[in-house]
Amino acid sequence: MARLIRTEKEVEGRYEEVWLVVEEDPLEQWPAGPREIVGRPATRKSGPARVRGEVRFTADLKLPGMLQAVVLRSPYAHARVKTIDLAPALALPGVRAAIGPGEASGLEEEIGYSGAAVAAVAADTFRQARAAIEAIEIEWEELEIVLDADEAVRREQFTAPPRQYERGDVDKALAEADVVVEATYRTQSVLHNSMETHQAICEWTGDILNVYISTQFIWGVRDAVAETLEMPPDKVRVVCEFMGGGFGSKNGPDEYTFVAAELAKRTGRPVRCALTRREESTAAGNRNATIQRLRAGARSDGTIVALDGEFTNAVGWSGWNASTEGPMKMLYDCENVRTVTYGAKINTPPMKAFRAPGFVEGTFGLECLVDELAAKLDMDPLELRRRNYAATNEGTPISSKELEECYRRAEPHWERRHEVRSRSDAVWKRGVGMASQIWYGGGGPPSYAWVRIGSDGRATVITAMQDIGTGTRTAMAQIAAEELRLPLDKVDVVLGDSARGPYASISAGSSTLPSMGPAVRAAAADAREQVEDIAEQRGMPRDAPVHEVVDLLEDAQILGKGARGPNPTGMSVLTFGVHVVEVAVDVETGEVVVDRVAAIHDVGRIVNPLGASSQVEGGVIQGIGHTLSEDRLLDPETGRVLTSTLDSYRMPTIADVPEIVCEFVDKPDTHLTNLGSKGLGEPPIVPIAAAIANAIRDATGADIYELPISREEMLRALERAKEKERRGAPAAV
Amino acid sequence: MSEIRLTVNGEEHILDAAVGTSLASVLRDRLGLTGTKIACAEGHCGACTVQIDGVPRLSCITLAHTVDGEVTTIEGLRDHPLVEAFVRTDAVQCGFCTPGQVVSAAALVAANPEPTREEIRHAMAGNICRCGTYPKIEEAILTWQD
Amino acid sequence: MELLRPSSVSEIPSNSLLLAGGTEVVPLLQDGLLSAATLVDVRGVVPRGVSGNVIGAGTTLGELEVQPGIPDALREACRLAASPQLRNMSSLGGNLLQATRCWYWRLDYPCRLHGGDRCHAREGEHREHAIFANDFCASAHPSDIAAALVALGARLRTNRRELAVEELYRLPDESDRRTTTLEDGELILEVELPAVDASVYLKAMNRKRWSFPQVGVAVARIGGETRIALAGVAPIPWRIDGIEALDTATPLPRTEWKLPLARALVNRALASLG
Repeated sequence: MARLIRTEKEVEGRYEEVWLVVEEDPLEQWPAGPREIVGRPATRKSGPARVRGEVRFTADLKLPGMLQAVVLRSPYAHARVKTIDLAPALALPGVRAAIGPGEASGLEEEIGYSGAAVAAVAADTFRQARAAIEAIEIEWEELEIVLDADEAVRREQFTAPPRQYERGDVDKALAEADVVVEATYRTQSVLHNSMETHQAICEWTGDILNVYISTQFIWGVRDAVAETLEMPPDKVRVVCEFMGGGFGSKNGPDEYTFVAAELAKRTGRPVRCALTRREESTAAGNRNATIQRLRAGARSDGTIVALDGEFTNAVGWSGWNASTEGPMKMLYDCENVRTVTYGAKINTPPMKAFRAPGFVEGTFGLECLVDELAAKLDMDPLELRRRNYAATNEGTPISSKELEECYRRAEPHWERRHEVRSRSDAVWKRGVGMASQIWYGGGGPPSYAWVRIGSDGRATVITAMQDIGTGTRTAMAQIAAEELRLPLDKVDVVLGDSARGPYASISAGSSTLPSMGPAVRAAAADAREQVEDIAEQRGMPRDAPVHEVVDLLEDAQILGKGARGPNPTGMSVLTFGVHVVEVAVDVETGEVVVDRVAAIHDVGRIVNPLGASSQVEGGVIQGIGHTLSEDRLLDPETGRVLTSTLDSYRMPTIADVPEIVCEFVDKPDTHLTNLGSKGLGEPPIVPIAAAIANAIRDATGADIYELPISREEMLRALERAKEKERRGAPAAV
Repeated sequence: MSEIRLTVNGEEHILDAAVGTSLASVLRDRLGLTGTKIACAEGHCGACTVQIDGVPRLSCITLAHTVDGEVTTIEGLRDHPLVEAFVRTDAVQCGFCTPGQVVSAAALVAANPEPTREEIRHAMAGNICRCGTYPKIEEAILTWQD
Repeated sequence: MELLRPSSVSEIPSNSLLLAGGTEVVPLLQDGLLSAATLVDVRGVVPRGVSGNVIGAGTTLGELEVQPGIPDALREACRLAASPQLRNMSSLGGNLLQATRCWYWRLDYPCRLHGGDRCHAREGEHREHAIFANDFCASAHPSDIAAALVALGARLRTNRRELAVEELYRLPDESDRRTTTLEDGELILEVELPAVDASVYLKAMNRKRWSFPQVGVAVARIGGETRIALAGVAPIPWRIDGIEALDTATPLPRTEWKLPLARALVNRALASLG
C-alpha cells in the first residue's frame, strides 16, 4: 500500500525536505561481504563501445538541418548594455536568427563577470555564427569592478547573508587552552575543464522540446527548463546517454540550453549551442577561491577544546555559499566551535559545485591546522586525530562511521614514514603526511527503476538516470543481476532519456549509487517475486533459474518496479576516509613530487570494486592537480580570465601520477536502504591537498598556507622555514 | 574550396573543403567518423589524436589539405587487442578522451611492444584525462598482450 | 585562403604565411591572431634529416628525440618539449620561431608585441614571465631547443644568409616589435652544429611533462669554452657568461622565484659536465 511521508534529502551538504510516496520495502540488506556479483569486480557494460569511440556524446550528435549557435560574451567584468543592434549580424550569410538580452534566460543586460552571456546567433555553420557575433554592435557602460573577496566583504557585498554558527564558548576555551595555533589559508579558483564542453541541442517536435545535453541531472534540467519556459514538465524531454565529464559543473541547464531552445523555436530547426574550451574557463563555473582565517586551541593532553574559523568564499557574481566550514564543525569532537562564512559577491565567473564543494577547501585548512597543532603539542598527528574522534555528528547519531577502522588500516602506511624520511638527502627531502576525510554521500529519494523480463530470460533495468562516467550503469546491472540471480551478461540497463523512464536522482553529491541502487534492487526484487510466483504455479522450485521459468511467456513480460525508500530518520549519513601521502621535495628548485598515496575509504558496501578503485584514483589525481599545478588566473585590471587554454591551465598528465594504493572498509551501512552503499564520487578528492601539505611539512619543516603549491609557493615556504630557524623558533617538524 | 584526397582506415575519400578546414572536422563532420573527439580544438589535450602513417598527431590543428599519408582513427583500431585491454583493466570512465588514448597507445606498442612504465608515461603524456583514469591506462598498456 | 605546397624556395610568394608542422601557425590562424590570403606548406622545400653535424630545419622534434648522433642538450631539449603528438608534428625551424606563451599576447591584448604601448604583464599577472630584459616587454621565450642551440653555438643557414642562432633573435623595442630577425620570404633551411665535447639541458616545469619551461638551462662545453643559455627567463633565449650573471637579473615581484631556481639549475648543469 502506498504511503505519503515527509523525509530529508541531502545533496552536497544541503538538506531539504521532500515528500515521498513509499511502498513497504521488506527487503533486507545482504549480509556483508562479496556476493555472486555485487562486491566483485565487473568491467563496464558500455566499455567496448566507449573504448572504440562508438558511443555518441552530445558533441557527436547531428540532427538534420541543425544550426550552430554562438554566444556573445561580455569582455567586461561589470557593465551594462546601453544599446545593442543585432541587424548587422542578421545580414550576414548563413545567419538564421539572433537574440539579445532578455530574449532567453541567461542573456543579461547588466553583467557581472567577464564571459557573461549577452546575445546569441544561430547560423548554418559555426564559422558563420562566430562572424555574426563579431558583427553585433553594442554600446557598453562600464561599471566599477570588485575582484578582491576581502574588499567585497568589507563592503558587505554578499551573494547570500553570512552564515554563522556557534556551539559552546570559543573565546573562553581559547583563553584556557594550553596551546593555540592560528593561521590563514588560501585556496585558489579551480576549473572543472571536463573533456566534453558544456553543450545542448534543442529541437522542437510539435509542442515537445527535446533537449540533448551533456548533463549530470536529466530530471533537474527537465524541471528547470519547464519552469523557466512555463511549460508542463512532461513536454520537455531531456536526453543524455553518454557525457564527457561534469564534476559538478553540469547540474543544470545554464544559458546555452535556453539560447538553443529559443533559437530553435524561432528558426524551426534544431540548434546546437556548445561552449568552446575557452568559454569553459569563464562560463562553466569553478571551485571558488577561499581565504580561511583559523584558530585552534588544545589542552596539552591533545584534546582540541576550541575551533574558530572565518571563511571567505570568493563566490563570484552569483552562486551559492559552499560549506567551507563543514569539516571544522563536523570532523572532530570539539565542544567549542565558532564559524562565520562569507559568500563574497565579486565580478568574477560564478562558482559551481565542484566535487565536494567547500569541503575540499575546508579540509585543506583544517587538516593543515590540526597538524600544526600536533607539532606544537609534540604529538603524533594520527594520535591527535584519534584522540578527538567524534562519535556523533554534533549530537546526531551517524548511520555508520568506520573512520577508526580507516585509521587502523592507515597505520602500516603511516609506519612507513621513518623509512621514507631516512631516504632524504641534501637536495631531496622526503616525508609522509596524512589527512582525514568527512563528507556526505547518502543520497536520498526519490529515485525509481523498472525491471522488465521477457521470455528469453534476459532482464532489462529501465531507468532515466545518467551515467557520468562513474560506472553506475554497470553497478545497477550488478545489483539487478544479484537480486534476480541472473548472470551479469543477461542484464542490460537502459538510461538517459526522461521520456523513457521514471525519475532518477542527480549524479552529483556522490548520490547516484545510494539513490538509484536501492530503487533498482527493489524493482529487481519485485520482478523476482513475480518470477517465483510463476515458478510455484508451474510446479517448479521458487528459486528455479529465471530463463527456465519464463520460457513460456512469448509476448508476455514480467514488469517489476521499485522506489528508493526514505533515509534513516534522525541520523546523519556520512562518508569517511584517510589519506596517507609520501612526498619528495627538491629544496633547491621547489619541485614537489607525490610518490605514493594510500587512500582508505569508508563508503558502506562496495558494489563494484573495480569501478570503485577508478573513482578513488580519479579523485586523487584530480586532487593532485588542484594541489600542485592548477590555477585559474584573472587579469587584475579587467577581471578577464587569463588561463583559458589547456596549456596554461595545467591539469595532471599520466606522468604526474603517483603510486596509488586504494583500500575500502567495505562494511555495509546497516541503516541505509536495502543496499547499505554510500556514494564514492567525492570522498577521494577531499583530503589529498592537506595530506600533501602535511607531508611537505614532515619532509622539510616548511608550512604550506596556500594552494596551489607551485614552485614559487614551495620556495617561499622553505624560505619562511629557514627564517624561523634563524630566529631561533624551532621549525615545526 | 579545393579538393582533398584522404585515405582513412584504408578507404580513400575525395572531397571538397575550404582551405583551413581541420582534419578533425573532416573526419567528424564530413566522413561521420565521430570516434575522434574535439575537446580543446587547439592542440593542447590530445583527444583528437589520430595516426598518420602510424605516427600520432593532433587532427584538430592539422590542416586537411596538408595530409600526406594514411590516416588511422579509432574506428580503424576497433579490433586492436588494446581495446579489450582497456575494457578489462577499466581504463575508461567518461570515455571522451579514450579514443585518443587508444590511438596513442597503439602507436606506442607498435614501435615498442613491451614498454616500461616510464616509456608509457613519456609516450602518453599528451593525452589528458580529466577523470584521472591514468593508472588503469598504464595497466592496460602494460598488459595488452595478455 | 589558398594553400601552396611548393618544392623550391623560388616558388614561395612574398607576403605569404609559411608553415611546416603548423603547430604554432594553425592555432594562431584559427584564433585570428594571424591571417593570410596565402598559406605555404614549406615541407617540400626545407631539408629534413640529420647528416653529420647538419640538421635539416624540417626535421621534427620527435625525430631528434631519438637521434643518437646529436649533442645531449639538443636531444634532451627535444625530448622534454611539448607533448608526443606535438613533437611528431613540429619542425626544428618552426620551434625556433614560436611566439611567447604570455597570456596577454595569446589573448590578443594590445600589448607591445602587438604594436601597442604597454606591457600588460608587467603591471598585471606576470608570474610566469621574464627576469631579464623585461623592461619593455616581460614575455618569456618558450623554446627549449632555442636555448640548447644557443648554448651549443649552432649556426643557421637560411635561403639568404648564414648566422649564429643568437642572431636570429632580437629584443623588441619602440621602433621594432619583432623578436626575430627573419625577413619576409626568408626561410630557415639548416642548423649546423660545431663539435661539442659535452652538453646538458635541464628543464624545470610545473607538471612532469607537456609544459613550457619555467626555467630551462642549456650548458655546452666546446673546446675550452663553457656556454650557457636559458629558456623562459627573457623575451628571447638568454645567453649568460656565468652564474654570476644571475645577480644582474631584474625580476618582477612575482618572478623573483625564478632566480633561485635558475641558480640551482645552472649549478647542477655545470656540475654535471664536470
